[in-house]
Amino acid sequence: MTILKLPTFAPSTLTNAASLIRILALAFIAGAAISSRLFAVINFESIIHEFDPWFNYRATRVLASQGFTEFWNWFDPTAWYPLGRVVGGTIYPGLMATSGVIYNILHALHLPVDIRNVCVLLAPGFSGLTAWATYMLTKELKDESAGLLAAIFIGIAPGYISRSVAGSYDNEAIAIFLLMITFYIWIRALKDGSVLYGTLAAVFYFYMVAAWGGYAFITNMIPLHAFVLLLMGRFSHRLYSAYSAWYAVGTLASMQVPFVGFQPVLTSEHMAALGVFGLLQLVAFVETIRNLLASKQFQLMLRWFLIAAGVAGGLIIVGLTVTKTIAPWTGRFYSLWDTGYAKKYIPIIASVSEHQPTAWPAFFMDLHMLIFLFPAGVVLCFKELREEHVFVIIYSVMASYFAGVMVRLMLTLTPVVCMTAAIALSSLLDTYLNVDEPANPDANGVKETATSGAETPVDGTISKKKKKGVAAAAAAAAVTPSIATKAKGRSSAENGIFGIDTRILVIGNAIFMLVMFVLHCTWVTSTAYSSPSVVLASRRPDGSQNIIDDFREAYYWLRQNTPQDSVVMSWWDYGYQIAGMADRPTLVDNNTWNNTHIATVGKAMSSPEEISYPILRKHDVDYILVIFGGLIGYSGDDVNKFLWMVRIAQGVWPDEIKESNYFTPRGEYKVDDQASEAMKNSLMYKMSYYRFNDLFSGAPAFDRVRNQQMPKEGPKLDYIEEAFTSENWIVRIYKVKKEDPLGRDLKTAHAFDGGKRRKPSKPISRRKALAA
Amino acid sequence: MRLLYGVLLLVASLSAAVAQVTHAELVRLAAANNGVIKLNPVLYDALTAPNRQWSAAIQFTALSPQFKCSPCSDFNPSFKSVAKAWSKVHSAERDQHFFATLDFLEGQDVFKRLGLSSAPVLQFFPALEGPSVRPNPQRLEFSYDFSRHGFDAEELAKDLSNHTPIPIPYTAPFNWQPWFFGFTFLVLSLVAGRFAWIYLREIISNRWLWAAATVGLTLVMTSGYMFVQIRGMPYAQHNSMIAGGFQNQFGIEVNLVAALYGLLGASYLALILLVPRIPSPIRQRASVYLWTGILFVLFSILISFFRIKNGGYPFKLLL
Repeated sequence: MTILKLPTFAPSTLTNAASLIRILALAFIAGAAISSRLFAVINFESIIHEFDPWFNYRATRVLASQGFTEFWNWFDPTAWYPLGRVVGGTIYPGLMATSGVIYNILHALHLPVDIRNVCVLLAPGFSGLTAWATYMLTKELKDESAGLLAAIFIGIAPGYISRSVAGSYDNEAIAIFLLMITFYIWIRALKDGSVLYGTLAAVFYFYMVAAWGGYAFITNMIPLHAFVLLLMGRFSHRLYSAYSAWYAVGTLASMQVPFVGFQPVLTSEHMAALGVFGLLQLVAFVETIRNLLASKQFQLMLRWFLIAAGVAGGLIIVGLTVTKTIAPWTGRFYSLWDTGYAKKYIPIIASVSEHQPTAWPAFFMDLHMLIFLFPAGVVLCFKELREEHVFVIIYSVMASYFAGVMVRLMLTLTPVVCMTAAIALSSLLDTYLNVDEPANPDANGVKETATSGAETPVDGTISKKKKKGVAAAAAAAAVTPSIATKAKGRSSAENGIFGIDTRILVIGNAIFMLVMFVLHCTWVTSTAYSSPSVVLASRRPDGSQNIIDDFREAYYWLRQNTPQDSVVMSWWDYGYQIAGMADRPTLVDNNTWNNTHIATVGKAMSSPEEISYPILRKHDVDYILVIFGGLIGYSGDDVNKFLWMVRIAQGVWPDEIKESNYFTPRGEYKVDDQASEAMKNSLMYKMSYYRFNDLFSGAPAFDRVRNQQMPKEGPKLDYIEEAFTSENWIVRIYKVKKEDPLGRDLKTAHAFDGGKRRKPSKPISRRKALAA
Repeated sequence: MRLLYGVLLLVASLSAAVAQVTHAELVRLAAANNGVIKLNPVLYDALTAPNRQWSAAIQFTALSPQFKCSPCSDFNPSFKSVAKAWSKVHSAERDQHFFATLDFLEGQDVFKRLGLSSAPVLQFFPALEGPSVRPNPQRLEFSYDFSRHGFDAEELAKDLSNHTPIPIPYTAPFNWQPWFFGFTFLVLSLVAGRFAWIYLREIISNRWLWAAATVGLTLVMTSGYMFVQIRGMPYAQHNSMIAGGFQNQFGIEVNLVAALYGLLGASYLALILLVPRIPSPIRQRASVYLWTGILFVLFSILISFFRIKNGGYPFKLLL
C-alpha cells in the first residue's frame, strides 16, 4: 500500500541517475563551502588574516622563493632578538609544503599565480575536500544520503568556517581535512582488515603530524577506539592488522618530522597508542595459542601468562615514568584535564583568548540546530553499534569535553556533530519520505504483525548478522538514496507513517529548519568570522562602510622610515605581523617558546620609565609599538591585555612586579584619576595615553574602551619619544632615546631642554636607574 | 563581681602592655598559642614597632559569625597550620619571625588606621633593624595576594618562605580519609561484584545505559558546564537567571540549555523511532502533530534565549 504512485524505472537507470545526482550534489556542496568562505575577500581584499597566518605566509614565501632545502635549514635571526629562531626545527611544515607544492604545480602549468593568493585560498579549497572526506566517513556509518547531509553541514557550519575563511592561512586550514580522511581510512582499514588501508591511514596520519600539533587527537582516538573494541569483546584479526599497520608505519613516519622527533616513544601523550599496540599483540598471541592447545591447559596457561604480562608491563611503565624516561604530559595537554593548571603555572597559555572555556552561546552560534540533532544522532549510533559507530560515540564524548574546556577545540567537535546530526536528520527523512503506508489495523481489523514482524524487527536486540544482512540488502538495492532504499527494504512492514499530511508536516518542518540553518550560517560567517583583524571595518552614521587600516599604515611606516636592523619591541601578539609586514626584528612573537623573554617584555611594559630604560637599551630596542583603542573604541588593545603582561612578568619577577599594585585599592581596573600609582607610572600606560588629552582641546579626555574619563594632566615621557601615531591612534610607535651625550640621565636632560630647573635631588634617581 | 574581675584583668593587661612588650614576651605569646599571637591594638603596635628586629606575618580577619565572612574562616585554618609548622623550627630562627592574627572585634581602630575595608588580609612586615634585615627587594611590606595564590596552606608557606629567615617546613598533612574510604569501597564493591556478577554483567553490557550516559555527558558539555566549573560562576543571581554577555553564563543556564537540547533531540528521536511504530493511524497522526509542535515551540524558545545573549541576532520565530 503506498500513498503515492512512483513511476517505475529499470534498476540500472536508477543507479546511474543516483550516482550522477550524488556527484553533482558533492560538487555543489564543495562550491558552497568554498564560496561561503570568500566573504572576507569580497568585503575587504585578498589579505592574510590575524597573527599566526602572517608567519606561515612569510615561511611559505621563503619556501617558494628559495626552495625546500633552504626553508628546512632556515635560521631566522630577526625573531626573538637577540636569540633568533631555528624555524625549520620548530614548526609543523605541512601547511607551507602544501602551498609550495600547489604553487609549483600551478607554475609548471604556466599559471602565474601569486604565492599570496595560493595562501589566501588554501583554506577554502581544503574545506571542499573536507566536505568530501566527511561524506565518505558518514557513508560508512549510514548511507549516501546521510553522507551528503553531513557534507553540506560541515561545508557551511560556522564552527569550521571560523578557522578556514579565505585568508586564515593556519595549520587548522588543512588539518581538519586530514583528520577526517585519516579517520575514514582507519574505518575502512578496520572494516576490511586491510594492511594496505592501515598503511594509507598511517600516511595521512604522517601528513597530519607534519601539519598540526593537534595530531595528538588522532594519536589517542584510534588507540582508544581499539581499546574499547577489545573491552567489548570485539577483538578480531581485522582490528589487529589494521591497528598494527597504522601504528608501526604511522609512528615511524611521524618521527621524521623534526619538531616531533622522538616524542612518539618518549612522552605520555603517545603512550596510549604504544600500550594498545602491545596489548593487541598479547591478545592476538593468546588467541593463536587458544587455537593450538586443549582448553584446560589453555586456561591454566592463559591465567599465568596474563598475570605475568600485566605485572611486567605495569612495572616497566612505572619504572620509566619514575626515571623520567617517559616525559609527563606537557602543559598544554595537561591543562585540558586539570583545568586550573594553566592559569596557575603557565599564564602564557591561559592568556590566549581561544584557550578560554566555552559558554553555551558559542556552541549554538557555531552549530545552530546541529547541536541538538547531535544527541539524537548519538542515540541512533547506539542503535546500530557496529565498529564504526563505536568510533563515533567515543569521538563525540571526547570532542564535546574538549570543546567545553577550550573554545579553540570547537573545531574538532564540529565534524562529529555534523556526522551524527546528518545521521539523525537522514533517518527522519528516510522515515517520512517513504511512500509505503503500513496496513491499517483499524480498517482491516487484522494486524499483520504475526507474519512480517519476525522478519524486520526494529529494536536493537536483533543479532548482528541479520542486521548486516538487512543492511547489505538495502545497500545492494540502493537507488535514489532516500526514497527507494526503504521502499525495497521493508515493503509491507507493519511500521510506517499513515497519511500524506503527516509527511508534509514533518518534511516541511525539517526543510524549514534547514533553511534557518543556512540563514544562520551565512549571517554568522559574514558578520563574525570574516574579519581579517588586520583591517577593521566600522559603520558610519549613514550606514556606509568605513575601513580602518591603521595596522598596515603603521607597519609600512616602520618599513619605509626606519633602518632595516632597528629592533621593534611590542607585546608578543604583534610579533608575526611586524616581521611579516614591517620586516623588522622583534623581541618576542606568537611562537611563545621562551617565557622569560616574554616576561622581560612584560616587565619593561609594566615598570616605570627609569626601570624599563636599561632593559630596553640592553636589548637594543629602537622602537616600541603599542596598540591603543581608546580613541575609536577598539577593545582588543594593549591596555586591556596589560594585566596579562603584568601576570607573566610577575611569574618571573614576583618581588618586583605585583598584579595587585595595578588595581585600585577597591580592586578595580582603572585608568582614570583613581588609577594606582604603579599603573600611572607604567610605560604601557604612559605610551598609550601620551598626548591623548591634546585631542580633546581642553575638554576632559575620554577613553571609549574602558568608558573612563582621563585625568586632566596627561603622562610625560623622558626616556622615549613619540615617533608615529596612526590615523585612528590604534598603533602608536615610540623611539627609544639614546643615552645622553653629556652623561646626564635622560630625565634631567629632558628637563633641561624644557628649560626647567630640577631640584638637586636628581643624582639619586640616576643612581637608582643604574642600579636597576 | 565578674565584671569587676574583668575590668581588673583588662587594666592589668593594659598596664603590662604599656610597660613595654619585650621580644621574650612575644615569643612566649606565640608559643602559648601554637605559634599564632592573638593581637590587640597594643600588641599590634609592639609587634610592628618601627625599630623591630623581627619580621611578622599578620592576618587581619573577622571570624565572629556576625560578619558572615566566609573567606575568613576558609583561610584561618591554613594560616594556623603554617604558623604551627613554623613553631617547630629551631628557636634561633623561629624567634626572628612571628605569625599573628588580629580580629576586627579586637582592633577596629587598627583596621581603620590601615584603611582596610575587607578581610581577610595577610600583611607581611619585614624586620627593619638588627641582624635579620633582608636585602633590598625583600625588605618591602606587602600584602599576600589571595587572587593569585588562593587560600591554600601549601601556597602560603611557599610564598612566605621567600621572606622568612629560613623556609617554612610546612608539609601538607596526608589526607587518609579518601584513601581509606576508597580502599574500603573498592574491597566492598569487589566482594559485591563477585556475587552480583550475573546482574552486574547485564547492567554493564546494556547499551542503552551507556547511551544515556553518553548523551547526558554530551548535553552537559555542550551547554557550558565546563565554563561554569572553570570560571566558578554562581548558580544564579538574585535579580536575573541569565548572565548578560555572549561569553558568559550562570550555572542555571547549563540546566536550562541542556534540558532544551535534550527535549529537542528527544522529539526528533520520537519522530524517527517511536511514531512509525504506533499502529493506529489516528493516534499516530496526533503524535506526529504533537511532536512537531513541541519541536517548533522549543526551537523558538531556544532562539529567543539566544537572542538574550546575543542582542544583534536577526532571526526569530514565535517568541
